[in-house]
Amino acid sequence: MDFFIQLFTDPVGFYNQHELLIAQIGINAILAISIFVTFYSGQLTLANAGFMAIGAYTTVIMSLYLPTPLPVDMLVGALLAAAIGFLVGLPVLRLRGVFLAIATIGFVEALRLGVILNLPITGEGQGLKNPSADPLGGIVPILISVPILTYLVWRLTHTRLGQAWAAIREDELAASSNGINVPAYKMVAFVISALVAGYAGALETHINFFVDPTEYSVTRTIQILTFAVVGGTTNVIGPIVGAVFLTALPEIVRQFAAYRDVVNGIILILVIIFRPQGIVGRGGLAIIAPRWWTRWRTRERAAAAH
Amino acid sequence: MSALLQLTNVNRSFGGVHAVDNVSVEIEEGTIFGLIGPNGAGKTTLVNLVTGYIRPQSGSIKLLSPPPPASEKGSNSPPPLAGEGRVGAAVELARRPPHAVAGMGIARTFQTLRLYRNLTALENVLAGMHLRRRDDTLQQLIPIPAFLKEDRRRWQHARELLARVGLDPDKFGNRQAATLSYGDQRRLEVARALALNPHLLILDEPAAGMNPAEKDRVRALIQQLNQDGLTVLLIDHDMRLVMGVCRHIAVLNFGRKIADGPPATVSQDPAVITAYLGSQAQKTAAHVPGSEEMDVAATSTAVSAEPTSPLLEVRDLQVSYGAIQAVRGVSFGVAKGEIVALIGANGAGKSTILNSLSGVLRPHSGVARFGELDLTTAPPDRIVSQGLIQVPEGREILARLTVRENLELGAWGRSNGRSAHRDIEGLMKQFPILGQRRDLPAGQLSGGEQQILAIARGLLAQPKLLLLDEPSLGLAPQMVDTVFDVIKKIHNDGVTILLVEQNALRALEIADRAYVVETGRILLSGTGAALRRNPEVQKAYLGG
Ligand SMILES: Nc1ncnc2c1ncn2[C@@H]1O[C@H](COP(=O)(O)OP(=O)(O)OP(=O)(O)O)[C@@H](O)[C@H]1O
Ligand SMILES: [Mg+2]
Repeated sequence: MDFFIQLFTDPVGFYNQHELLIAQIGINAILAISIFVTFYSGQLTLANAGFMAIGAYTTVIMSLYLPTPLPVDMLVGALLAAAIGFLVGLPVLRLRGVFLAIATIGFVEALRLGVILNLPITGEGQGLKNPSADPLGGIVPILISVPILTYLVWRLTHTRLGQAWAAIREDELAASSNGINVPAYKMVAFVISALVAGYAGALETHINFFVDPTEYSVTRTIQILTFAVVGGTTNVIGPIVGAVFLTALPEIVRQFAAYRDVVNGIILILVIIFRPQGIVGRGGLAIIAPRWWTRWRTRERAAAAH
Repeated sequence: MSALLQLTNVNRSFGGVHAVDNVSVEIEEGTIFGLIGPNGAGKTTLVNLVTGYIRPQSGSIKLLSPPPPASEKGSNSPPPLAGEGRVGAAVELARRPPHAVAGMGIARTFQTLRLYRNLTALENVLAGMHLRRRDDTLQQLIPIPAFLKEDRRRWQHARELLARVGLDPDKFGNRQAATLSYGDQRRLEVARALALNPHLLILDEPAAGMNPAEKDRVRALIQQLNQDGLTVLLIDHDMRLVMGVCRHIAVLNFGRKIADGPPATVSQDPAVITAYLGSQAQKTAAHVPGSEEMDVAATSTAVSAEPTSPLLEVRDLQVSYGAIQAVRGVSFGVAKGEIVALIGANGAGKSTILNSLSGVLRPHSGVARFGELDLTTAPPDRIVSQGLIQVPEGREILARLTVRENLELGAWGRSNGRSAHRDIEGLMKQFPILGQRRDLPAGQLSGGEQQILAIARGLLAQPKLLLLDEPSLGLAPQMVDTVFDVIKKIHNDGVTILLVEQNALRALEIADRAYVVETGRILLSGTGAALRRNPEVQKAYLGG
């Protein structure tokens, strides 16, 4: 409760006290946007943690060895993630549904266990110290990026590209009869998702002094997935709401902090049972309204009409 | 007139089945070309070959006058006329992916509906405009009014397309596609295909699930489109529609072309009559409403009134989908041993009534009793185990299981395994197309074969009361005869039947009593024979 009271009565103090939390919420919101893009095009891909790792390691390695300014390092990190996304997408996007999910998980683990833990330049699993970390300054680009990315992706879903994604999600065969180049548009979604995830990874190095390979495991990907499932994927606000809610919750209810994963799991189950479309359904922010509630409402209305 | 599409010796087989066997046809530019043939003859496969969904094993498919690339500016002008923008060179379509074929100006609809179910009707049509739209994704990121004007123009055009196929944009535009009635979903498929602004439009059973009067509207639409310069390839099993509208017809049987020519010649061809038309279809093709009045009068039996102690009793039933009330206080009864038919236009609420009796939907008020069982609250499995079986509209079969497994599931609730086995064998004999394909996944059956499978599965559950929703949907005329014979036979064995059917003539022929449903209410009721003579019913449902 204190949490909310402070948020409204003393926002400056709140900001200072919870800066790390706010930064983490921002990062997670960007990751939520990343997974939303692939979800929106009907693909269950779980490679986000891998692309994060690429963005993060590239940024840190460049600031260790090259004189380039930090924004360039971050940009290169995000672009490299997108490029690798393209290469990974070539074979993987032919798969659908669960098979696609498993293949992308495979990519995350192969990258972490096969590449990051073995290359000297990545510290061989010991992690890397980040020389340019700046937790207080790092929050600024995060806070600027979240609204911009949200806006861009929200607009994107209303463009020709976004309509094609929705069509593919609904029915691939029908989409191709409408002249939509299904493999190409799927690839575009996958690459944009990789780009955004890589960018989130790069941003995150900013607020951490240390890049730790265990951060980029499947657990992270699953966490990102829960943002989307809990928040809903009919529009971009859904996953972001999911990210904010699930990241802030352990802070709001301190007693739960130790059981974070358990609580997340329970929330996930409750949402799937009572509101499968997620917290934010079609038509914007909706209150939690399970199916029996709407059914009961129509019955009432019909009775009133009589 | 010159040829637009030319198929030469096209072959495609699946395993041992020659779905398309050395077929050559030529479709002239500006014509309406009909493709008919029994269920499983290879018509849909041929469409899939042309549109790039499956690849031919041999043969060539040529588009002879490729239209200029689709573009934004073309959206309001009529499609290119013959001779205009002709490139001269023929384009080989075989081995091109579907989206590329669509890009050549060939649009299609799907026999087993493939709408974007969770998008609204308007969004479906907008998605269909994909190719006509300049790629303005980057511009659209900054919503300046000038860019949004294009958007508004597209919406306006989508609304016009909906209106064109007979869907009121104000009423249906923002409805989710999945909530439309079966016939309206078919209309929406046509609107979405038209959104491509095609040169050649391929319609795979556009009028399935519509009554004769509605089919007449489809026919008027096809003629109108054709006058506007569109070449049409039409597949349908309704001979009044096909013979009435097509200028040239090809007939397939077991993958082979057995006839090719103008409708008058084809309909007289003895091979076509034996393979496809059957006796009844000729009658339907030549059917003039009122002409059968005499024999109806002769065969009409004593008027059977509403039953006093019905097996199925429905009183004041009301069902809604969200805010839309689909059934508004319907009351009727079905006595043991009767065949009762519900007829009416698309979207009248007939399927909704059946679905709320079988427990698929829950009515929000009213009474529905089946013997002792309260159908408004009983769980679906209990309803089934009490002997009320539904054959749903639109072939809801289990696509990944084989034909045989589907049938075995139909007999799931039966205790006597051996008799179930015997019945399955019997049905496979009765419908040889099922027997021949017993080990094929059901999803790969042709549309009509799937329909037969759904009916056979319903029969295997040994129903006391069978709810049949559009049993003749997508069936070839001869197959319709067979199915109605089977319905009569199980009726003679003592099964009570509640039938929803767009082929109102056939339905009223076999029904003891019938109800006319319109906009969720019962308008009329009476014996089948009496309704058949009713001039209003004739005008509205039997086609004039
Ligand atoms: N993918 C497939 N695998 C195996 N067999 C198939 C496949 N697709 C179609 N067939 C078979 O090919 C034959 C032709 O099917 P098709 O769908 O073209 O028939 P149709 O003429 O459209 O029939 P209907 O009038 O019932 O729609 C059928 O016997 C069907 O079982
Ligand atoms: Mg077919």
